[in-house]
Amino acid sequence: MSAAIQNDDGPRGVLRRGWSAAVGDYAIAGGWSLRGEALMVGDAAGGVYAFDGKSGATNWERRGVHEGGVLAVAVHPSGTTFATAGQDGRVLIWGVAEGQVQQAIDIGDDWVENVAWSPDGQWLAASCSRQVRAYGVDGAEVWRSDDHPSTVSAIAWSSAGELATACYGRVTFFDVPTGELRQKLEWQGSLVSMVLSPDGDIVACGSQDNTVHFWRRSTEQDAMMSGYSAKPSALAFDDTGTLLATGGGEAVTVWSFQGSGPEGTRPGVLEHHVQPVTTLAFARRGMRLASAARDGAVVVWSLERDGNGRPIGTAVLAGIGAKLYWRPDGRALAALDAQGGVTAWRIG
Amino acid sequence: MNTPRKVPVSILTGFLGSGKTTLLNRILSEEHGKRIAVIENEYGEVGIDQALVINADEEIFEMANGCICCTVRGDLIRVLGNLMKRRDKFDYVLVETTGLADPGPVAQTFFMDDEIRAEFALDGIVTLVDAAHIEQQLGRSDESTEQIAFADILVLNKTDLVNDEALDRLEARLRDMNRMARVVRSERADVSVDTVLNLGAFDLDQVLERRPTFLEPEYPFEWTGVYSLDTGRYELDLDDGPDPSMSLVVVSDQDTDDAALRESAEWCVRRYAEPAELIRPGEEIPLGKHVNLLLDSPGRKSFFLEVDTQVRVALYAEHGADEFDLQLGNAEGAEIMPEVERTWVAQHEHDDEVGSIAIERDGDVDPKKLDAWIGELLRERGVDIFRMKGFISLAGESRRFVFQGVHMLIDGQPDRPWGDSPRRNQLVFIGRDLDEQSIRQGFEACLV
Repeated sequence: MSAAIQNDDGPRGVLRRGWSAAVGDYAIAGGWSLRGEALMVGDAAGGVYAFDGKSGATNWERRGVHEGGVLAVAVHPSGTTFATAGQDGRVLIWGVAEGQVQQAIDIGDDWVENVAWSPDGQWLAASCSRQVRAYGVDGAEVWRSDDHPSTVSAIAWSSAGELATACYGRVTFFDVPTGELRQKLEWQGSLVSMVLSPDGDIVACGSQDNTVHFWRRSTEQDAMMSGYSAKPSALAFDDTGTLLATGGGEAVTVWSFQGSGPEGTRPGVLEHHVQPVTTLAFARRGMRLASAARDGAVVVWSLERDGNGRPIGTAVLAGIGAKLYWRPDGRALAALDAQGGVTAWRIG
Repeated sequence: MNTPRKVPVSILTGFLGSGKTTLLNRILSEEHGKRIAVIENEYGEVGIDQALVINADEEIFEMANGCICCTVRGDLIRVLGNLMKRRDKFDYVLVETTGLADPGPVAQTFFMDDEIRAEFALDGIVTLVDAAHIEQQLGRSDESTEQIAFADILVLNKTDLVNDEALDRLEARLRDMNRMARVVRSERADVSVDTVLNLGAFDLDQVLERRPTFLEPEYPFEWTGVYSLDTGRYELDLDDGPDPSMSLVVVSDQDTDDAALRESAEWCVRRYAEPAELIRPGEEIPLGKHVNLLLDSPGRKSFFLEVDTQVRVALYAEHGADEFDLQLGNAEGAEIMPEVERTWVAQHEHDDEVGSIAIERDGDVDPKKLDAWIGELLRERGVDIFRMKGFISLAGESRRFVFQGVHMLIDGQPDRPWGDSPRRNQLVFIGRDLDEQSIRQGFEACLV
């Protein structure tokens, strides 16, 4: 299914021609294996695919495994297995190489909207409606939360044994697997997205009312960033925890946490997109940020520590930019789009 | 990238027991060849192969600013956000709310959330009404009142449990509250699928086509008959009717075209505002005066009318001619048929706090003034304005401007060119305790 990109909208700047492939429907989510040997993708028709990281050739494909569609994908830190979740109420754990289902976890009738592996790879967390559950690698349930006040919109691990959940009005931290409630941060607003700083101290959430709200856990200080023209559902922290990139309109707004910031500072405002930004991803090293927009435009930015930056590479996708994934070594960038396109560029 | 057509969404509301699940099952089991996604908030017994049914708990998300108009349904944003990713597989989305749902947040979701707005269009709000119980419900809960006020279509269901007279009374009450909605009667939610899907309900053209009188002002009279008379004495003859008396103004020298009838109607409104002279059977009716015919004796009653020249006279009567079997005869006893008849939208008491205001005015509107007026009106009264829609003739714009809104949220764009059709403004507001006079005056002040 791979083919060389042949159009006038070829990549520019640091984005170099790589490969492209296609899945059966809207490419929802995916991820690279540890060394970038494979890129795994789940689509809206419930299919799960693995492509060769170098050539884009299809290693294997399993169509229609999640009835109703895939909602989330998480690659295990080892890079050899990954989890998919879908509208069928199931979580599947796959072997990257062969595409065999190692564990199938049937949670129930509700959609499983989020999955995340703990940083040490010991636990898999999944959210389903108002509940969060944690499983061992063998698929055995080790913990299940009480009902949250509303559907859990995002989950993230703050450390190897602590899970954060976001829902309407609240971010909650739980010890896993004991389930002990560690901290509850409240704010009246519909939290649609969440990202944690790498040290787990800063929690940032995008809110339905076009604001970004963040807390410092150590001090319980919080702050609200407003002025967005749209819902900031795309958020990304760089690996050093200095920069928080946020979508929410055509501009990418980057808040710098260096010094006493970002309170009282001006964010970097990265302007190049002409349509609302849909997704953001930081490379692991080197202050490089990738953004994609509703019109399929992809931009790679080189950032300063104060949050300002400039575009250093551009490309265009066939559909709405759905997700961006840097290869762990930072030498390639993969993009998923609404037309089912899977594109990988080499980074020059 | 091309922009695909927005997927239409219908919202189905109604109190528990009003027949929502029955209607839903009917829609899903009927052969209509459409792929429908249903989002259900009430766990009913729905489950049909050709449709996708998603159960979602109603999650009402208020904003930190505390504004009720910004309140949205988080579950819909989430579910629709995922559904739109495989848009090609659905032709239509139906959202069934719980019985106690306030339709505001559901409707607002389609205005407030940019991503939802980009992919979906609110096609219409269908409210099912249990004809046997709605009167009690209206007295007890704000939600049922708001469900009526928000509706584009009111399905008056379980009509077999209520007599015709009560149904007519109920329908009149519902129409009072919401003049914009179309009322459909049914026994066991047996309405056609077209009644609830692809309504194009936000198209005011359709509303006007269906009921051309709905934007008309109300008058203290219901009926006019124009009679061409020679010099002489005439007998106005009435049978027993619904009331012991009836108000009347007889206009002399009346033309038969609609403009002339409207002009006289305005003149008669002022006459009706004056105290009426009581006329007993056998007495003569003066021309151009507000009179009250006394009809409390049984059997047919005669009154007299004298004209001293060949003239057309118009009777502006409080009730329709058929209600009292009204007849005009000449001195020889021959009945004279009216040359022209016309009915008017009758004024009546508005019992409910919730009501509709309709404005129709010729002429162009100053966009800046309109903007300022609407802005202020919505800031001050947005909470009480449930729905609004209309056409505006903006000065300097060759196309008709179409708008619709829910509470404080308003959405508008130019539509088709006016062409040869007369440039005219038509607006409807549905809300609670709205001050008709000040809204009318506010709009008038926006005219160029």
